[in-house]
Amino acid sequence: MALLEVSAIEVNYGRVTALSGVDLTVNEGEIVTVLGANGAGKSTLLRAILGAVPLKAGGIRFSGADITRAPTHSRIASGLVLVPEGRRILISLSVEENLQLGAHMRTDTTRVKAEIDAIYQRFPNLAERRHMLASCLSGGEQQMLAIGRAMLAKPRLMMLDEPSLGLSPLFVSKLFDLIKELNRDGLSILLVEQNTGKALGVAHQATVLELGRVVMAGDPKALAADPRLQQAYLGEGTPSH
Amino acid sequence: MLTQQIINGLMLGAIYMLVAVAFTLAIGVLNFLNFSIPGLFMLGGVATFGFLKMGWPFLLAAAGALFIAALVSLLVERLAYRRMKEGDADVPLVSSLGFLVLLENLVLIRYGSDQQAFPALFPDMNLRVGGLVIGIVQLVSMAISLGLVAWLSWFLRTTNAGRRIRTVAENRETAMLMGINIERLVPQLFVCSALLAALAGLLFAINYQQVTPFMGEGIGFKAVAAMIIGGMGSIWGAVIGGLLIGLAEVLSVSFIGADVVNITVYGLLLVILILRPQGLLGRPPAREKL
Repeated sequence: MALLEVSAIEVNYGRVTALSGVDLTVNEGEIVTVLGANGAGKSTLLRAILGAVPLKAGGIRFSGADITRAPTHSRIASGLVLVPEGRRILISLSVEENLQLGAHMRTDTTRVKAEIDAIYQRFPNLAERRHMLASCLSGGEQQMLAIGRAMLAKPRLMMLDEPSLGLSPLFVSKLFDLIKELNRDGLSILLVEQNTGKALGVAHQATVLELGRVVMAGDPKALAADPRLQQAYLGEGTPSH
Repeated sequence: MLTQQIINGLMLGAIYMLVAVAFTLAIGVLNFLNFSIPGLFMLGGVATFGFLKMGWPFLLAAAGALFIAALVSLLVERLAYRRMKEGDADVPLVSSLGFLVLLENLVLIRYGSDQQAFPALFPDMNLRVGGLVIGIVQLVSMAISLGLVAWLSWFLRTTNAGRRIRTVAENRETAMLMGINIERLVPQLFVCSALLAALAGLLFAINYQQVTPFMGEGIGFKAVAAMIIGGMGSIWGAVIGGLLIGLAEVLSVSFIGADVVNITVYGLLLVILILRPQGLLGRPPAREKL
């Protein structure tokens, strides 16, 4: 069953077309990855789905409801949650307060407390530093915090924008393990990545954007074998950047 | 004599403190030096005075004045802040200053420029401890001010709404991506800061039994100084700054002379800024870290 349906959306920044005629579907329980070079419109797509940039045309449905005109906060309340690019941890808040911020719309405080404890069990590094300012965390720990914060918003679809960016290889593997684990627990995931190989390895569906248009879409294994993708993003042949 | 003056200074300081907290909320969260705040302070006193003159009972008059100040603050948000926030940060500062002048002159038209006597509302009861005289009304005012600020600080630190406000203060775009409804939160903050300023004006009128159209100006500038001394954006900084300035003012009046008050107060500001440019409790400017 389709959880998220993006149909023919168009986004402009001034006169520049950032997205045009983009379709995307995420089914319940799937990991879908969106690939593409810098400036292909991947982050814009996630922001458009979240309602943080206005659509010029097209529509978005989430869990059966038309959310094309819904404000960002009500989309998040309905379970559409973003782990933004660069993580965007609040550095003037403590680690724990960052987690609590993820649950800022929830009123079931005892559940929230239990979930925060569960996150500390999963990420002991965060538990140790729970009362320290979040700025003291390493990049990898900040990424875990950003994902933990998103989990506390009770997501039904978690969108991750380049989560592996700037992480050490060890943390990148940990991150993709975590993504698989969250998915196994039933969370649907929309993953934007530059790390094409890893992303195709965990995804059930993949879409490739180029200059704001969908140029390839389908089975990740087939895409991984596609010479055009090989050439453009896997670094065999001429790298694109 | 000295202890007596210290008590008087702390009581004046409590008024500066409330106004300084109103300023610090606006600048800390909205990055907006809101110069309509002295006007809202004045409205708190003058509107209560006006309603009392119309025969309203005190509590109703006070509530009416706070309500009017909140409404005017929403107007400032709508007309001065919301329209200008995309542009230069100095533009809403100037237009809020316009609101101050407008409010002062509207009151001037209604009540004239003379100082009006605010009625003595409560019997003149004093606590006498040793040689000290402490007015009950002053004591209650100070307790209300400190209690309110302590509550506000607790609220910001521990509630979801408080974390939302601090998130907006740190980074508006992140706040939006976290699902914080900024369009609703900003007017709420304007109301909150208006209520603090107007309450301070009301307490000033009750304690010093006078109102004028321009009563906000001197207090407003000293409150800005208090905020800067304490560290911009820090609530407890505003508390310390407010009380310090109140003390400095009262002590210099009684020990040096009334004509050096501004030299003492702004001299204190200068010295503290030289020694600690970020203010007593201010943090050095934080940089966004990826």
